[in-house]
Amino acid sequence: MSEPAAAPATPAEPDALAVRDLAAGYGGGLALRGVSLSVRPASITAVLGANGAGKTTLLRAISGVIRPRGGRVLLNGRDMTGQHPEDMARSGVAHVPEGQGVIAELTVEENLRLGALWRRGREVRAAALAEAYQRFRVLADRRRRTAATLSGGERQMLVIARALMAQPRVLLLDEPSLGLAPRVVAQVMQLIADLRAAGLTVLLVEQNARGALSIADQGVVLNLGQVVATAEAGALAADVQLRQHYLGF
Amino acid sequence: MTLLRHLAAAVVVALILVLLTIRLDAFRDYQIAEVACYVVAVAGLTALVGLSGQISLGHGAFMAIGAYSAALLLLHLRWPLAGVLAASTVITAASGAVVGVAAARLRGPYLAGATLLLAVALPSLALSDNSLFGGDQGLSVVINTPAFLGPSFPLTRWQAWLTCGCALITLVLLANLARSRVGRSWRAAGDDEVAAALAGLNVAGLRVLAFVVSAACAGLGGALLAVTTSIVSPDAYTVTLSVALLTGAVLGGLGSLAGAVWGSLVLVLVPTYVMDVASSHGLSSSAGSNIPVAAYGVVLVVVMLLFPDGIQGGLVRLYRPLAARVPHPHWRGRARPDDSTGPPTAPAPQPRASASEHQEEGSI
Amino acid sequence: MAELFELTLGGLSVGMVYAAIGLSLVLIWRATRILNYAQGGMAMFTTYLAFEVINRTGSYWAGFAAALLAGLLLGGVIERVVIRPVENKPPLNAIIVTIGLLIFLEGLAGVIYGGQYRSFPAAFSINGLHAGSVALGISANDVFVAVAVLVAALLLAGLFQYTSVGLRLRAAAFSPPVARLLGVRVGRMLTLGWALAGLIGALAGVLVSPDTFLYPNSMDAVFVLGFTAAVIGGLDSPVGAIAGGLILGVALSYVGGYLGSDLVPLFGLAALVVVLMIRPEGLFSSAAARQV
Repeated sequence: MSEPAAAPATPAEPDALAVRDLAAGYGGGLALRGVSLSVRPASITAVLGANGAGKTTLLRAISGVIRPRGGRVLLNGRDMTGQHPEDMARSGVAHVPEGQGVIAELTVEENLRLGALWRRGREVRAAALAEAYQRFRVLADRRRRTAATLSGGERQMLVIARALMAQPRVLLLDEPSLGLAPRVVAQVMQLIADLRAAGLTVLLVEQNARGALSIADQGVVLNLGQVVATAEAGALAADVQLRQHYLGF
Repeated sequence: MTLLRHLAAAVVVALILVLLTIRLDAFRDYQIAEVACYVVAVAGLTALVGLSGQISLGHGAFMAIGAYSAALLLLHLRWPLAGVLAASTVITAASGAVVGVAAARLRGPYLAGATLLLAVALPSLALSDNSLFGGDQGLSVVINTPAFLGPSFPLTRWQAWLTCGCALITLVLLANLARSRVGRSWRAAGDDEVAAALAGLNVAGLRVLAFVVSAACAGLGGALLAVTTSIVSPDAYTVTLSVALLTGAVLGGLGSLAGAVWGSLVLVLVPTYVMDVASSHGLSSSAGSNIPVAAYGVVLVVVMLLFPDGIQGGLVRLYRPLAARVPHPHWRGRARPDDSTGPPTAPAPQPRASASEHQEEGSI
Repeated sequence: MAELFELTLGGLSVGMVYAAIGLSLVLIWRATRILNYAQGGMAMFTTYLAFEVINRTGSYWAGFAAALLAGLLLGGVIERVVIRPVENKPPLNAIIVTIGLLIFLEGLAGVIYGGQYRSFPAAFSINGLHAGSVALGISANDVFVAVAVLVAALLLAGLFQYTSVGLRLRAAAFSPPVARLLGVRVGRMLTLGWALAGLIGALAGVLVSPDTFLYPNSMDAVFVLGFTAAVIGGLDSPVGAIAGGLILGVALSYVGGYLGSDLVPLFGLAALVVVLMIRPEGLFSSAAARQV
């Protein structure tokens, strides 16, 4: 088992996203017991671990879907703990939940527009929409169709595009490769890597650890609500014992 | 054994009531009788709603069926009182079966709407045949104190004994039913229909059975009310009554038999009090008669928002050690308002759900 | 033949009122999955308000506007104060709360105004219209009723379909958690949804009160029929509510005309029973909306 390695951060520049001793849960129990991690700007951090390790809870506690019971969430150094999801979204955190969350009754275009509705200025919103269509040709072709008619891969594109409409600084992705064919998974992973190149900070929760580590800068392994390893992605992938114990490959 | 504990408690309560009715005056005895009639009906309703998770806005109609059956049987067939009460209960139970079957596929607002329809439509049925049902004058119901009590035994005291006796019997039977396999099946089907069906429970049959039992209770309550108030007429069994019964059940705490008692007390005592206050302040009679209606509404809303567990729940929280030793039947049902996600209130160190679990295990 | 024509037109006009109530119920159901039993009571209350304004100012349209505004406010306030706490609780809680609200409003109206039937003015003439010498069987007011509801429904449809607010309203209704993550203030949208429903209900109230007279329980029957219209169309379908209202209005008009007006309430109830037993999810609904 590798020891938690300190994520090397330039002292002057705050982490795009930092989480300190975060605790959260449902009903009587705690799914997250004191998790800490730091994410540098324009990087991808993969959050890995078995089912029930607390990965989804972590994202929900950050984006405000559930209220943390303890600890802090810092966005660019600013304490944002416990904010409502609507406010976190407006502060630049985009959370794409597990199962995609396409609003099936709305069209592709309406889904996209929804992502930027809170932004001021018609030109700003129109420009965001145009950019989305340019980057995701598939969505442009299907813009008037109801979201229910999209395939799994297209839906994943839609929700990522929709999240980008808000021009977020931080993107929380929960299991984007779930239920997708391998070829499509590769496309999605490539997309995420491209987004990082464009300056986006990504926190990526994945069951598909191998794929996630291949594009990530940093990896964090959770088990039973706690961090058991934090390391640079390559180092994590190379640690065979850790991989087999917690990640299953 | 649960049955013995329930019987013992019932005997104790019965003795207390006997003493009370002897010491109190005729009017108070009459009020006690009225409360007991409602207890029977509300207990059945709270079982339906709190245990099997079905809502009914039409139980006033079942009370009407029981009341009119009793009136007609006494008037035309001159059966003995015990027979009349039993027959009224059975007749109403049968109507409960009909309604239950018709409504078996309905849930939530659709079920509520359908039962509301029943409450609205039934009084007009009574008005349809003047000769049989007495039109809006209604029918008068007269009973006499039984001979063995002696010639000078007050009628109101006999009415109080009769109704309280029936109420206690009903409560004991319902309490045992709740603990039995049927009661557990009701709870299971109410909590999660699909799981219950997969486990082999006949969900539709259970739902109908719940309607039958609760209708039977309402019918008995109606028959007793007819005997107590000496009259049955359509305007005593309007939608307001159905809502009042639901208010009593909610106020007492859905699913709680003891709560049925509290709720019935409030139902009988508060309107009288309110109307007294209104007339002493010189409000017109129409204003005075509408205040209780407005008050029911406020009670329903406030209790649902602030005290979803009703009076009984409040008492349980305050006096949990005491309540745990008194064998009162208290079950959890799917329809019980769920406030376990909210912040726990100050005096309760444990979540409420575990308190009632503890009680259930302790009583067996 | 002329009688059939008359009955049909009359039925369409009153059917629009049922459609309006049904529409307001559908709005609330889609937004919060709650059936608002108090919808009729709220409409009754705002109509009493209009009554007051008309009596004090002598102007029908002032009263009309006051009712609509009051409906908007009442709907919004009720959602925020009374309904919000039970939105995420078991459905039974909301049923009990809305029923409690209904009888509170009816009791309050009884206390303030008493139980007597009051006559409420119509916007336009209630004399039968004529095309030349041929009696058309409906009045100018009937036409106004139908047009008013139609305009309101179209405006509402336009709002939902073509505006940003409408998009937010729909998103908040279809998928509140996802909408939140996209920055939509879902709570405010639900309040707005109830406010709009209150507006439509208030409109129905002032439109139908000339016929039914105004008293604390005057909207009970209309509510039941509006509920029936919504169920016929499917609680999820606004178009269905309107269609259901029109079908019901025309059918009841025929019953009243050919079979006698005593049978109308019974027929209305029978229609509801039949729909609930045979096809509870309604004629127009795509999803199985019958779940709790």
